[in-house]
Amino acid sequence: MALTKVYDATTVFRHLNGVLNVYKPAGMKVGHVRSAVLSNICKGLNELKQRDPRRLPENRPLLGTGTAADSVLHNIATSTDLSDDVLSTGPRYMPEDIRCAAVASLGQHTSGVLLFGINKGLRQSSRIQKNRPVRVYHITGRMGTATENHLPDTHITARSNHKHVSAERISGLAASMQASHQRKMYELCGVDLQTQAAYELACKGLIRPADNSLPVIYGIKLIHFERPHFTLELHSINETQEYLAALVHDMALELRTVAHCSQLRCIRHSHFDVTDSLLRHGWHLPGIVKNLRQQREILREHPQMLEQERVELHA
Amino acid sequence: MLSTVRVGAWTTPRLTRTYTAKAKRSVLSQDTTKIKDYTPKVSDPHAHRVYVWGFQETGALGLQTSVKKAQERYTEMVHHPTRLQFSNNNEITDVAAGYGFTAYAVQRSDGETLFGSGLNTDSQLGFQVKGNPKDPANLDVIIYPTAIRLPREHDETDEDMQVRSMAAGRAHLVVVTRNGTVFTLGNNSYGQCGRSIIDDERYSKSALIHRIAQADICGEKDEIVSVECGQDHTMFLTKLGRVYTCGWGADGQTGQGNYHTAGQITLIGGDIEKERIVRLTSSSDCVLALNERGDVFGWGNSEYGQLDDSEHAQTQINTPRALQLTKGIGLIKDVAAGGSFCMALNDQGLVYTWGYGILGFGPFVEQTSKPQHLLPPLFGRNDFSNATTVVSIGCGVFHMGAVNSDGDLFMWGKNRFGHLGLGHKKDQFFPFKAAINGKVTKVAYGVDHTIALCKPYF
Repeated sequence: MALTKVYDATTVFRHLNGVLNVYKPAGMKVGHVRSAVLSNICKGLNELKQRDPRRLPENRPLLGTGTAADSVLHNIATSTDLSDDVLSTGPRYMPEDIRCAAVASLGQHTSGVLLFGINKGLRQSSRIQKNRPVRVYHITGRMGTATENHLPDTHITARSNHKHVSAERISGLAASMQASHQRKMYELCGVDLQTQAAYELACKGLIRPADNSLPVIYGIKLIHFERPHFTLELHSINETQEYLAALVHDMALELRTVAHCSQLRCIRHSHFDVTDSLLRHGWHLPGIVKNLRQQREILREHPQMLEQERVELHA
Repeated sequence: MLSTVRVGAWTTPRLTRTYTAKAKRSVLSQDTTKIKDYTPKVSDPHAHRVYVWGFQETGALGLQTSVKKAQERYTEMVHHPTRLQFSNNNEITDVAAGYGFTAYAVQRSDGETLFGSGLNTDSQLGFQVKGNPKDPANLDVIIYPTAIRLPREHDETDEDMQVRSMAAGRAHLVVVTRNGTVFTLGNNSYGQCGRSIIDDERYSKSALIHRIAQADICGEKDEIVSVECGQDHTMFLTKLGRVYTCGWGADGQTGQGNYHTAGQITLIGGDIEKERIVRLTSSSDCVLALNERGDVFGWGNSEYGQLDDSEHAQTQINTPRALQLTKGIGLIKDVAAGGSFCMALNDQGLVYTWGYGILGFGPFVEQTSKPQHLLPPLFGRNDFSNATTVVSIGCGVFHMGAVNSDGDLFMWGKNRFGHLGLGHKKDQFFPFKAAINGKVTKVAYGVDHTIALCKPYF
């Protein structure tokens, strides 16, 4: 079948299903991103060819005014239902008409991959969420100043020297924290450590948590160090922005200095990469439809994101 | 908001802080002159720090400073690795764990080089006197590390007295100093101190420290590089790869070709006669040795088939013998012999265990006669750290441990008095990471306590 250009909103809306990968800018809440995306979708849909207003049934008795306008009125009224006209109902598509939910939330200061399930894609998005895929972050810390909530927008609480901190020291600490978190993971997985089941689990390597109550960190690695900034790559499940910021703060204390988290970016959510995510200037209907199609391809390549058989974790 | 400045290949994030209107007023009006400076005290400027855990009642951990407090309840064991206060004040270079006591090699300005704490019933920590008239008269237990004064000859300097190697057995301690002198302390009822056995010798409150010149053991051309103690025997390893032994030989652990006790330090032969041995290990009465080509030799107790798994194998081997068991597992890098099991590490970083006991294969595997390897994920290898391998192994009488290339210590085995350091008293059936704040460089495995020498992150 040859590809045809679609001009009418109904067809587009009918195919507006799936998982959407948008790049959330820092300083914007998830709710704001959601409403921006939805209103842009509606705007795009409403600019397309709309369906005609409903037709009225034939031979409807109509009260006449008894003037010369009667014939004109009669003519209009027989053809269309004016109460269904765009001018009287308002736009055909409103944000409330589209069902949409985020797979996992990101904090206000976090930027990066944010997944939305749209319409029938909600089913997929909730399954992705239940499988607890790993999210990968790049977190930049700034040494020398501590802030109240460990993020950059609050009062500075302490200053400190950081001349003695080197890249080797940070990576050494990161490696040890990684090992300690992996050990914690076995304690959290709910299996008695003295059993054969625990041994078999341990032989498989990393395992995923049973619920979303506690954050689990699988990998921490220093990827860039330029005083006073350092950037960590972090693989985790169930984390929150506050938890990651507190982690940077705790690391700094361990390194005998103070730091706050100046930048958080989610670069990967399961197999959904930051390179495929839709930047803010692309949040329009053609871009969104194209992105939905791309994510559908990714889901087809990695069906385990929806149907997870194994207990162990894969990066 | 986020502008980038190009420096080399990487762009530096230069961030300006963004605020909401209300937060902006509040944050920008902050009086920056009143921000406190945080200058944390670096409590420990030393290159090494020491973590200890296990049975405390013997004083082997050296954590207590008050005798009164040490006698209180709930102080008998320490489940978690705990930082040794003594290592904050002293530069500790080496540790050795005996049966209920510990020896520390220390670099100090005042010239003391050897410290010890724990059981001193056989004067294995030297002759200790009451420092304070209020101290209890019984000094069989030393709760905090005290100096062990090694007797010096007139021209020996502090530098000469630095410890080159040391090891401890059930109730004896052997120290080799930098100038090659061997000092032996403690019980000599089987000749493990390398001197002839005296009947009815009293070891308690004895001031005797036996001194042996290196040349008297191995001649002028060779030198002793390390010493290893089993339960009641002592083995010396020289630079040329020769092994000299003395002590209890009832299970053949001296390897001298007989089952007698020997107060005389003797060169042993057998299959290792022409081999250059680089590593010796023993924790009770089974001995493993490794030559420079990665072959394993063994002698001593083989009740559980550790050394020979054939049908009618001897349960005691009194002459060093090349092991057939470890032939198929590649080049061996490290070995360790426990009470009823053995371990080996090959050049691929795989840890093999065999024998009887908790071998690390889960609760159902109690005995294997063939060496089997533990899977690398158990030692921290996974998708996130895929280059991690085990670099050293070791074991006590009842427990085993392995250190990986990230400096993490993994422990498993019987958990006597919490000496696995996992925070509980339950046995651990597969390797599990002990929580230590530092990169582990050396571990001393005692019979009921463990000591780890670590490099701090800071």
